[in-house]
Amino acid sequence: MISFEPTEEQQMIRDTAAAFARNELRPAARAVDEGETIPDGLIAAASKLGLVRAWLPEEHGGDGLMRSALTGAMLMEELAYGDLALAAHLTAPRLFAFPIIEMGTSAQRSRYLKPFASGNFVAGSSALVEPRYDFDLQTIATTARQERDGWILDGEKCIVPLAGESESILIYARRGEEDGVSGFIVPREAAGVLISEPEKNMGLKGLKTYEVKLAGCRIAADAQLGGDAGINFARIASQMRVAAVAMAAGLARAAFEYARDYAKERRAFGAPIATRQAIAFMLAEMAIEVDAMRLLAWEAAWHLDRGEDAAKESYLAKHYASASALKVTDNAVQVLGGHGYIREHPVEMWLRNARGLAIMEGLAIV
Amino acid sequence: MKILVPVKRVPDPATTIRVLPDGSGIATDNIKWVINPFDEIAIEEALRIKEKQGSGEIVLCSIGQITWQEQLRTGLAMGADRAILVKSDQPLDTLAIARILVKVVNDEKPDLVILGKQAIDDDSNQVGQMMAEMLGWPQATFASQIEFADGKCKVTREVDGGLETIAFPLPAVVTTDLRLNEPRYASLPGIMKARKKELKEIAAESLGIDLAPRLRIKKLTAPPKREAGRKVESAAELVQLLHSDAKVI
Repeated sequence: MISFEPTEEQQMIRDTAAAFARNELRPAARAVDEGETIPDGLIAAASKLGLVRAWLPEEHGGDGLMRSALTGAMLMEELAYGDLALAAHLTAPRLFAFPIIEMGTSAQRSRYLKPFASGNFVAGSSALVEPRYDFDLQTIATTARQERDGWILDGEKCIVPLAGESESILIYARRGEEDGVSGFIVPREAAGVLISEPEKNMGLKGLKTYEVKLAGCRIAADAQLGGDAGINFARIASQMRVAAVAMAAGLARAAFEYARDYAKERRAFGAPIATRQAIAFMLAEMAIEVDAMRLLAWEAAWHLDRGEDAAKESYLAKHYASASALKVTDNAVQVLGGHGYIREHPVEMWLRNARGLAIMEGLAIV
Repeated sequence: MKILVPVKRVPDPATTIRVLPDGSGIATDNIKWVINPFDEIAIEEALRIKEKQGSGEIVLCSIGQITWQEQLRTGLAMGADRAILVKSDQPLDTLAIARILVKVVNDEKPDLVILGKQAIDDDSNQVGQMMAEMLGWPQATFASQIEFADGKCKVTREVDGGLETIAFPLPAVVTTDLRLNEPRYASLPGIMKARKKELKEIAAESLGIDLAPRLRIKKLTAPPKREAGRKVESAAELVQLLHSDAKVI
């Protein structure tokens, strides 16, 4: 049966995330976009929410919350409604911890998950995207070669969130000529790992991203995520796309509501501009796009929660949301007119952030 | 210390309230319900007292329909230990609420009752005072600071023209003001744990209390729309208008 009614638990998670986004993320967003570092108080407050810890198994010090892509989508939408960049920063550790929780060997879980049970923010990351014009998830070119006593990794990654801050990074690579993608847990300090200065991006400035080069990087034999059994990479990729779509919906909803409220207040030629069809049609379309993104994310999440393949649904959703988030945030700038272009209003920032969301992959996971 | 925190469910303060055309109440469709913000402050204060003292029990209590569970669960997710829902489908006035809570106090025997100074829906500001009177307990309303020393409770109150500090023995009733604290967010682990905490339901009718309303709401009306301002040429004209039109001086 299809139901659009969140469980009591999902509703509480939404409420708490929404309040946190409204009271903490949104007010901090602009200063961080202008280059200030994220306030320690904000990071501490976010850590108390338990964005990673809640899902850690109890034997590793967590709370053992049942993983649900749908709940994750709801959480991500609310956080991104506050601010996309900060939301991505604060949830980046999930990129490392979640695949280990779901697909790691018990030795890997014992070894790597413990730090995330602390009440403090612990950075974590995964490296997916590669700096090539023809990059797509099917043609990952980073390779892992098995040697007698370990693996040798070679390749280049980019837009790796928090790479410079994380103890270890989950690197997605291909084993030799085999099809399919594997994950490798690589210590940041391992020989052959080269991490760049933070990348200078057009938007998402609250999220530090890096290039990571792997040149003959030698890691231990037990560093392959999931051991010999490997991982279900398609599932991870779908979880990442669902997160991105949900965040796009949150970002777009922020832009829509801001533009709507502005249009009701702003008067031109004797009436609020919201009463003019040119504006009203635009606002209606924005509202439709927000709902459409959310529904697409939820459908893909629903498949994931049933343990099914969601490659098609998540990919279609991501494709749709990439264009849609851009359209909605651009329309928000348009509704505000000249005011939309100046930094006093957040819509130009949201447009820049949406651009990032549209071209980036692997920034978040549900 | 055992602390009882009465909690009321109210419309989210950010919601736009619309009065029903017949004036019998407000339109409740599309309304988001939350814990009364002053009660949320009371929960937070109870949590801080427990954390500071290292032990204790915090019991929440709501009086209303089955859906009020949602707010109790949120309070449990913030960290309260257990909750009681006194179920009643009929609207109750402040006297009936105070009577039910006194019954709960007599059963639970808390050392302290903390609740919001008022609920943001009807702004009655009566329940705490009524409870203290019926129980014969000391009361401290509008608390902006609460401390415990030498077996006494010390409460700072924001009063006109300054701060007033009063000390009294427990058990007592304290009502919270806005600046007492900033409530925490329910954490995700807290939300997890809330599911396993006890939420007891009692039927209001089973308590043997006179719940008949003494207060009747005759009609609700929306406040009149604000008129546009006027620009005046001079201070003299302003004074003249304040006298003749606005009749305020």
